[in-house]
Amino acid sequence: MSKQSVDIEGRVLIAGSAGGTAMVLDDTLSFWGGFNPVNGEIIDVHHPQYRQLVGGKILCIPQSKGSAGTPGGIAETLRNGSGPLAFVLGEPDVNISVGTLVANRLYGMNIPVLEISREQMKQIKTGEPISIDQHGMLSVNR
Amino acid sequence: MVTGELQLNELDQARLDGRLGKAMQFAMQTIVTAAHIDQADALIDISFAHIDACFYNGRAHLDFVNYMLEHGASLAVPSWTNNGLVSLNDLSVRDPLASREMHEARELMQAYVKLGCSPVWTCAPYQLPDRPGLGDHIVGSESNAVSFYNSVIGARSNMYGDYLDVCAAITGRVPFSKLHRDEARAAQILFDVGNIPQTVRSNDLFYHLLGYIVGRKCGNRVPAIVGLPESCDEDDLKAISAAGSSAGSVALFHAIGITPEAANLEIAFQGRQPQQVIELLVDDLRQARDELGLNSDQSLTGIALGTPHFSYTEFERLVNLLDGRSIDPRLTFYLTTSRHVFEQAGQQGWIESLQQAGIKIITDTCTYFSPAVNGLHGKVMTNSAKWAYYAPGMLPVDVLIASLSECVESAVSGKVMLDQWDAT
Repeated sequence: MSKQSVDIEGRVLIAGSAGGTAMVLDDTLSFWGGFNPVNGEIIDVHHPQYRQLVGGKILCIPQSKGSAGTPGGIAETLRNGSGPLAFVLGEPDVNISVGTLVANRLYGMNIPVLEISREQMKQIKTGEPISIDQHGMLSVNR
Repeated sequence: MVTGELQLNELDQARLDGRLGKAMQFAMQTIVTAAHIDQADALIDISFAHIDACFYNGRAHLDFVNYMLEHGASLAVPSWTNNGLVSLNDLSVRDPLASREMHEARELMQAYVKLGCSPVWTCAPYQLPDRPGLGDHIVGSESNAVSFYNSVIGARSNMYGDYLDVCAAITGRVPFSKLHRDEARAAQILFDVGNIPQTVRSNDLFYHLLGYIVGRKCGNRVPAIVGLPESCDEDDLKAISAAGSSAGSVALFHAIGITPEAANLEIAFQGRQPQQVIELLVDDLRQARDELGLNSDQSLTGIALGTPHFSYTEFERLVNLLDGRSIDPRLTFYLTTSRHVFEQAGQQGWIESLQQAGIKIITDTCTYFSPAVNGLHGKVMTNSAKWAYYAPGMLPVDVLIASLSECVESAVSGKVMLDQWDAT
């Protein structure tokens, strides 16, 4: 590990471990209406990352957007295998967490949801390798 | 904010330990997880739930309710269903035989009836008898209904999402957090509409545009509105609820002198000063109208009313405005409502006369989301800011928002007819 590596202790919303590449959302996103759970694509035409895929990424969401349909969009993308490997949130989000909890339970998954501060979120850039452990320790490996 | 360890009573603990079955255990684990995320230190009883999870959004929805049914779930409180993706009354609206998704959408709705929900299939459940009352803790999910329950009735609900709504109905419990607590219900930002001419404020379109503006400007603060006329009724407040929670995330607003927790400014703001005061003028309304869709040269192809579901009083207004005339046969005219209001309107003979005039009346679902209801494309007029806000992203439509009277005159003449509602 190089000396620029960063360790961030987050709050565990849904426990689990994961490792992969970070994708940081540049704007809020509704997982109902703005997202296609079949292929994991952002379909909100106003979103700066329109047409990008979230599949296989550690999805970092600085700011959430309330939507009753979000848990279903999350559970369905995870069921389809088109979803992220983990969620890192800049503010607590019950909808994303409940969608993940339901998918973990129904489909035997281990997808974590971690909350960190907005300031800590700024230390993570899209494309960086990240790992998350069961206790909520997030490492950016540079 | 509340902090500290979550306190569970003996019954909650039994639910969580699995002593009351696997479905109850899963539901309770979900409620406890939500309480942990909200940092709530207690759970409270609810008296009612409005369920959104019956609206199909993929196979996971079906897997969830089937898990609950297979493991013996039942409901602890009266639970009413939101719209479904298809209409169980009229399968031609979105045909269950046309795709696996529409077939599963119907199966999902049937599963929630099996679970014990009352099949009211409406996004405007507050128009039905036996609605919750002031101070009742409830679970709302559909965003316009959460806003209406909180604001207009004074019942207390957070914006609950899919699955958590069902888990709350099964356990009868929710975290004691956010809008369930007094302090979160204080107004923080004030919108003053008192200088908008009375004639403008008495037009139904005003309330849709006002809700849109409030939603765009208030962020996550609780707004209060001062200067609404005495004529303001539940249809108008429904419009504010729907537009504010579509264009923004308004889960509670106060209308000073009108809604139950806002007898005056002092009470609505719980003794504090507004963080910000915004005065709205007619120009703000004109700008909102333009943002929701410009009147293009394209010729009119359709009209969509009833988002949220048309009320009994809206039916009455429509019948009076139409006054026995027929819709131009080149247009497609859809109106969505609940089964309950459909029956009420039917008893007055209104359903038959509107159908004869050329209006297609749909229950159980809505027209603003995909897949498009047959024939709905091109330039569509609507009296709903919610429809205007969402439909262009999901359907091949170009939208124009208008008052109910403008919609009716346009429907009869077959072309866009706008009146001088904003003349000052």
